[in-house]
Amino acid sequence: MRSALVVAVTFVALSLALNAQRERTASIPTGNTPLISEADALRPVPRLPDGRVDLTGPWVGGGSNADIEREGGLKPGELPLLPWARKLLASRLEQDEPYTICLPMSVPRINPFPWKFGMSYTSHGLTHIYVLHELGDSGAHRVVHMDGRKHPPDLLPTWWGHSIGWFEGDTLVIDTVGYNDKFWFDSRGTPHTEQLHTIERWTRLNFGTMINDFTLDDPGAFSRPVQLKFTARHVRPDVDLMEFICNEDNQYGVAGGFTPAQPDR
Amino acid sequence: MRTKLGFVIAVSLSAAPVLAHHGFDTEYDAAKKVKLAGVVKQVSWTNPHMRVYIDVTDASGTVTTWNMEMTSPNSVQRQGWGRNSLLPGEKVIFEGYGGKVVESRGSLARISKADAPDKPLFVQGGPEAAREGFPGQ
Repeated sequence: MRSALVVAVTFVALSLALNAQRERTASIPTGNTPLISEADALRPVPRLPDGRVDLTGPWVGGGSNADIEREGGLKPGELPLLPWARKLLASRLEQDEPYTICLPMSVPRINPFPWKFGMSYTSHGLTHIYVLHELGDSGAHRVVHMDGRKHPPDLLPTWWGHSIGWFEGDTLVIDTVGYNDKFWFDSRGTPHTEQLHTIERWTRLNFGTMINDFTLDDPGAFSRPVQLKFTARHVRPDVDLMEFICNEDNQYGVAGGFTPAQPDR
Repeated sequence: MRTKLGFVIAVSLSAAPVLAHHGFDTEYDAAKKVKLAGVVKQVSWTNPHMRVYIDVTDASGTVTTWNMEMTSPNSVQRQGWGRNSLLPGEKVIFEGYGGKVVESRGSLARISKADAPDKPLFVQGGPEAAREGFPGQ
């Protein structure tokens, strides 16, 4: 009886120690942005003083990075690229991605660093939400007009497009057109055209988790609209956005003996 | 570090791989693993990626300055670095992967002060995890 008790206690002790070891090893930082603990992630969704859901963050993830097809939840080959776009994707080299010379990643690209929704109130209420990304992407912030306006006609194409947003219950809907065709959806080079129209539906499930139900509609490069899904996670409470000036000492290419491509003008 | 139950917590070099960003395979060679000792020449707190320049002297007395790329200053600070964590003149042991064309331009995997080799100042998982980002972080 006593030996069984010893065995049981040892077993429990071993499990606890192994869990502690796993947690501590996992929490030794290796360069990734530290995330909120599992326990804190499960806390309820916070609200702003006016009762609106608080989507601030900062967050990590919630978009594409290396492969929009896989990361968006599709099977290999399932992304309905038109033949010319598939060919372009196959010909692109990772090293030529505009981001390597500090140009914007745009939507829905979210690299592994923190970003936040800056919910901006004026005397007219919540008129804007700004998407602030630590990487800044050449000093850019993304503007989401929340004041009920429509997209203007004849937009000049830009890196981030023109975004209008509204709430459907607790889900933030962001509708964007007016993108240029210069950025890549992922580091492997999935292309798009100026016909791109994106719809993001951001829903915060609990304190630490937010889903991006993403509609990609680009008849210039895709045979039909596509539904993708990404998940964002909240950062650890002591983490906030820091400065990042991409151009100050960009030595990309020298070690590999190449010059990154310049974008089309 | 020891827990109450006497287990040693090991620092693992193979961190959970992050989503591949880009950069490692375009510039560095996973087969050119290096482990060297040298003297810090300069710690460059610049974006998009910090660099530590380390003078390594070979058996014949020739000095090569290794240009070792880390992650962004933000990421390194989040690993616990401050401005005085590593200074010119300090002796270090470092591991990394050499550049495909310029071998002495490497991707830094690990660095520690020579008098505390088991207390790394910076750890980055292997090529999979090192692919976090360029110019990203």
